[in-house]
Amino acid sequence: MNIDYHALLPEFILAGTILLVLVVDVFLPERAKWFAMPIGLIGVVGSLAGVLSLIGAGTRESFGGTYVVDEFALLFKGFFLVTAVVVLALSLRYFREGGFYQGEYYFLLLTSFLGCVMMPSSRDLLLLFLALELVSAPGFLMAAFRKGDVKSNEAGVKFFIIGVLSTAVMLFGMSLIYGVTGGATKLAEIGVALDGVSGEMETLAFAAILFVVVGFAFKVSAVPFQFWAPDTYEGSPVPVAAFLAVASSVAGFAGLLQLMFVAFAGQHEFWVPIFAFLSIATMTVGNLVALQQTQVVRLLAYSGIAQSGYILLTFALVTDDAASNRNAFAAAVTYILIYGVMNLGAFAATVAVSRRHPTLGVADFAGLRETAPVIAVGMAVFMISLAGVPPTGGFWGKLLIFQAAIERGGTLGPALAVVMLVNSVASVFYYLVVPRQMFLRDAADPSRLRVPALVTAVVAVAMVTLVAIFVLPNVFARLAEISTLVGLGA
Amino acid sequence: MSDYYSSYGVVLAVLTAGALLVAVAFTTARLVAPNAPNREKLTTYECGIDPVGDGWSQSHVRYYVYGFLFVIFDVESVFLFPWARVLESIGYAAVVEMTIFIGILAVGLLYAWRKGVLRWA
Repeated sequence: MNIDYHALLPEFILAGTILLVLVVDVFLPERAKWFAMPIGLIGVVGSLAGVLSLIGAGTRESFGGTYVVDEFALLFKGFFLVTAVVVLALSLRYFREGGFYQGEYYFLLLTSFLGCVMMPSSRDLLLLFLALELVSAPGFLMAAFRKGDVKSNEAGVKFFIIGVLSTAVMLFGMSLIYGVTGGATKLAEIGVALDGVSGEMETLAFAAILFVVVGFAFKVSAVPFQFWAPDTYEGSPVPVAAFLAVASSVAGFAGLLQLMFVAFAGQHEFWVPIFAFLSIATMTVGNLVALQQTQVVRLLAYSGIAQSGYILLTFALVTDDAASNRNAFAAAVTYILIYGVMNLGAFAATVAVSRRHPTLGVADFAGLRETAPVIAVGMAVFMISLAGVPPTGGFWGKLLIFQAAIERGGTLGPALAVVMLVNSVASVFYYLVVPRQMFLRDAADPSRLRVPALVTAVVAVAMVTLVAIFVLPNVFARLAEISTLVGLGA
Repeated sequence: MSDYYSSYGVVLAVLTAGALLVAVAFTTARLVAPNAPNREKLTTYECGIDPVGDGWSQSHVRYYVYGFLFVIFDVESVFLFPWARVLESIGYAAVVEMTIFIGILAVGLLYAWRKGVLRWA
């Protein structure tokens, strides 16, 4: 059993921070509870430094090859840790002023992020499952953190029941795979073993893949498994909704990418139609329902569902051709990362507005150009980017998926590309609802909105990043290029 | 592959047969069975005895403490026994690892203590 301690450094630092936060919290007086946040922030930054120290160090394996740190893993680890910094920054004032249990919140949040960080390195069914549960379990509690609010309780209970149900379905699928392959749990071994099964065993393997896919479909809120997401996001504290919409769902995609492109790649003829259906249903339903939303978090939830549809589309592009698969994989990774930036930004702007208007109706954004100009410009950029309109990063993300779909050829590729195009156009209508309120309507209360400095900083950085990605796509495309080499190595 | 999807025909047939079976059974029962409702029949069935109390009974919050402490010590003992069995063959690394593990669980106990859940009153 070889353990590469340097490769595990980010996880160790984060785990140590988690324990420290909990211990420090129980000894802090009530007034100073918020101090758990800077401690957590230092730990996350330390963990990020650990990730950076591993760049260029090659592929490193621990625990008999079940835990692999390669460039794909580092890319996602870095992404999750930056997300953690952002969510912590959004949380400070929100939780300090709202009368929450702060120490417990930061403990749970960091534990969830530890699961996220473990996810892209887990190359074994067992570890994958553990990482996914580590992401979800604290999430159930965090969703219900506004204890006095019925909606928050509903959010927690719904998320919990759906989470447990999807886990059970996925675990059943995994146990079938274990049986079909004769005891393989490593993803690469499963890929080899599944290619050898035929006849009735192959049917069983298909059923197993279907169960696993359904389990993950719940996690990434794909239609028809999406109904929990809007209620949960709406009821949760806004920073928690940001965490769920970005970190939790990206963690789901990180796991799904590894499973589909490495373990189940040989069975793509079976699961490509499933993903084609999931993708079309997810983006269409997400966009159509989003058109009718009047509450911003619900709008973002449905927009997130539609965005999941675009990402799922890349799975439906898998063929026997390795080069085209690499394209699809690169498009998926790039889109996921850009999606993370723009969605975090949108939630940051929402956190800023929630201080004056806790109900967060679309009309509450009226006149934001006067009351909080930076937030207003930022939110406009995020919305335009989510719609996939230049000059923003979201445009490149969509273009890459579109290109990959066209290059795949056949009837499926172009057909999916057309569906995606129509959906993107439809989505512009609801994404522009918020900017219209911000710039064309006047606020009822024209006094300046007091926005915490950290939240303004997050909005500004996310906005600049999105525009920078548009201007310098080469730099960003490199990241996805690096990651593709590894995920498809097997 | 179309082979695979066409075998869903069997699933469809089974579903139809199942639905028919239920429909026929219920229709027959409705036609044949005597209908004599009374109040007694509406009470909750609780192993044959008259039900006592409300369905929504409350459980004491102290059970939370039980649950909390049980998880800490249960997990600890589940891993301690096999650990003790293989300790000799692994050596000091195992001691260090188990110390870390117990340390993490001890933080849980510390948390419970500071939150005052160890006081019974």
